[in-house]
Amino acid sequence: MSTRITNNMLSRSVLSDLNDISAKQAQTRRQMSSGKAITKPSDDPFAAGRAISLRSELAGIKQHERNVNEAQGWMTVTTTALSQITDMAQTARQLVVQGSTDTLPQESRNALADQVDQLIAGMKQEANATYDGRYVLGGNRTNVRPYDSTENKTDPSVPTNDAYAGDSANQLREIGPKVTMVVNVHGDEVLGGAPGATGNMLGVMRDIATHLRAGDTAKLGSDDLNAIQGQIDNLLSVQARVGAGMNRLDTASSRLQEIEESTMSMLSNTEDADMAETLVNFSTQQAVYQSALNAGARIVQSSLLDFLR
Amino acid sequence: MSISTFTGIQTSLRGLLAQQRALDVTSHNIANASTVGYTRQEATLAASAPLPVYTSGGATAGALGTGVDVQAYRRVRDQFLDLQYRGQNMTLGDQTARSDALSQVELSFNEPGDNGIANALEKFWDAWGDVTNGPEGAAARQTLVDDARDVTQRINDLQASLAATRQRAADEYTQIAGAGGEISRTAGELASTLNAIRSAEMTGSQPNDLYDRRDLLLDQLSTMGQVSVTQSPAGSIDISLGGVQIVDADDTTGIATVPAGTFPLSFASSPGGKLGALIDLQSATGPIGSYQTELAAMAQSLSDSVNGIYGATGTNFFAFGVGTSGLPEINLNEPAVSSTTVVGGLGGQSDNALALQISNLRGGDADKRYQQLVTRMGNEVAQASRSQATAQVLTDNLSDRRESVSGVSLDEEMTNIIRFQRAYQASARAMSTTDEMLDTLINRAGRVGL
Repeated sequence: MSTRITNNMLSRSVLSDLNDISAKQAQTRRQMSSGKAITKPSDDPFAAGRAISLRSELAGIKQHERNVNEAQGWMTVTTTALSQITDMAQTARQLVVQGSTDTLPQESRNALADQVDQLIAGMKQEANATYDGRYVLGGNRTNVRPYDSTENKTDPSVPTNDAYAGDSANQLREIGPKVTMVVNVHGDEVLGGAPGATGNMLGVMRDIATHLRAGDTAKLGSDDLNAIQGQIDNLLSVQARVGAGMNRLDTASSRLQEIEESTMSMLSNTEDADMAETLVNFSTQQAVYQSALNAGARIVQSSLLDFLR
Repeated sequence: MSISTFTGIQTSLRGLLAQQRALDVTSHNIANASTVGYTRQEATLAASAPLPVYTSGGATAGALGTGVDVQAYRRVRDQFLDLQYRGQNMTLGDQTARSDALSQVELSFNEPGDNGIANALEKFWDAWGDVTNGPEGAAARQTLVDDARDVTQRINDLQASLAATRQRAADEYTQIAGAGGEISRTAGELASTLNAIRSAEMTGSQPNDLYDRRDLLLDQLSTMGQVSVTQSPAGSIDISLGGVQIVDADDTTGIATVPAGTFPLSFASSPGGKLGALIDLQSATGPIGSYQTELAAMAQSLSDSVNGIYGATGTNFFAFGVGTSGLPEINLNEPAVSSTTVVGGLGGQSDNALALQISNLRGGDADKRYQQLVTRMGNEVAQASRSQATAQVLTDNLSDRRESVSGVSLDEEMTNIIRFQRAYQASARAMSTTDEMLDTLINRAGRVGL
């Protein structure tokens, strides 16, 4: 006996086929509206795991990019401060040359000394440069002004505080996975700490002011001129270091961007729906659904009853 | 033996009656075309006992047919298909319960997306990264504390929601297998159906529709677990589910009862079916329980790795342990760690040495464990829904085969109606022909020349 097909079988199979097609359509519709091939882990467990890992990687790259941006901002402020200080040191050098001329009257030297005092205050002020409210030249003590830049005008005999209030800690920024770089310059590297200490800008400047007021042209012409030149050289080398650091940041930044792009495209390949394919699937499913409906309607409706008297 | 003159009328009458019965059965079939569990019936017709007649052909007597009798009203059903169907239906019950519960679990993971743990972890590591850029900044530290709270909250929420899914499985099990539950009601109904069948059979009748009722109840029971049916000595049947007897027919009287103390059901080994799945789902060592274990391990790994570095400050960053709800919990170590006390390092306000180390934990053990958990969970959900679909197809197939044997086909019944109607008409015609013949014999014979 051939298989009997009963009415219940017909309607069950028509219904379950329609359900199947509707479920597939719903899945395709989800893919179209979200733009994602994976909307839940079970759609493709391997890809879902990979997408999570790629997203985490991408977040890491973006974090490094933010770190690089921060470091660039920090170093830009540092460079500006350093070049201002260098300019002022150059001015001081000219003043030394001017003051070392024997023919210059002492009053003019006093005036030059006043100018040097102003330059000292200006240098300290530059050394107190901040980025995002933080003192960039203060080592780890970024919330403390590295130098006291107020000049005591009322009583010049009171020695101004030239001490460096920061420390010599390095500010590290992570610019790549486990790659850190030092982004800061310590104030005492360029301006020095206490007066009289060798190799520090503030000491040299104080000496110049003293010698100008004392009219010690011999010292001005030899020792002071050499000392200020030495400080300028030191400044330039520090600036060169900062410049090299900024170059490194630029390189890191463009490298990170490249990695970000490639990771993004990997992520997109992993989890994004291929729109063309999805659309084709959708219209195919729609056609199938319609023909299933059509066939179902005809099969379920007709019966021998239609043809009997 | 001579044959009565009126034999022909009697034969036609049998024909009329038999076709009428057959039509009645057809009407019954049509009326029940959509009844769940209905088995089509057919009237079994057989020629009635013949009359022996002597013929001139030899010593042996001929046999003159006397028409037709309805021998039985047969249920057209294949018991073997029933067994196959119930076995497959049990698998379907198991897979459906699993796939439903695991889909719930999948939803509570919220992956991939912005509301999942993966995203919170990313933000948490980002927050540490931002702290490396400015440990003294209030905003960066506040963000860190907020993001740390967020990631712990999401981990604890998922842990709680997994526990709730297990609890739901346990509740559903109690509802189904408990006293007064679904199975207990089905068992009671089965016992009374069996008793009704028994008393009908004792009077010699064949209660087809009660058999259908019994088979339907057994079908329903087979979703829940392994059903086995054994003949009882007194003629009825014993029914057990997953090895536990739920309907017992008395060995001498044959009266079926539900043994006292059967419910709530407890099983020595897995009963299979939906009950088996629910037992597995609520178990601490089942699939959901294992996700909880792994999630707790991931939380502990996160806590340990961060504390391992941050602990240098003398304070732990996270606290991991069993919470008030009895579930493993990870929390920010508050109030010791707050937006005002959190530090990036030990060497002064803007030291970021510790923060640098911690932000390097991104993509480490905790992240990997979570990815593995999501991948494993996704695989198992996909597997469960594939198995469910397969079981559904197989069950549908068997259901179709059963339906193919036992289902009512309206086309067939229509054809039968015509068949029986014509046969009825023909029998009536035969009767009137006999009548006309008798008319000739009774009214006209012997009236020659009148």
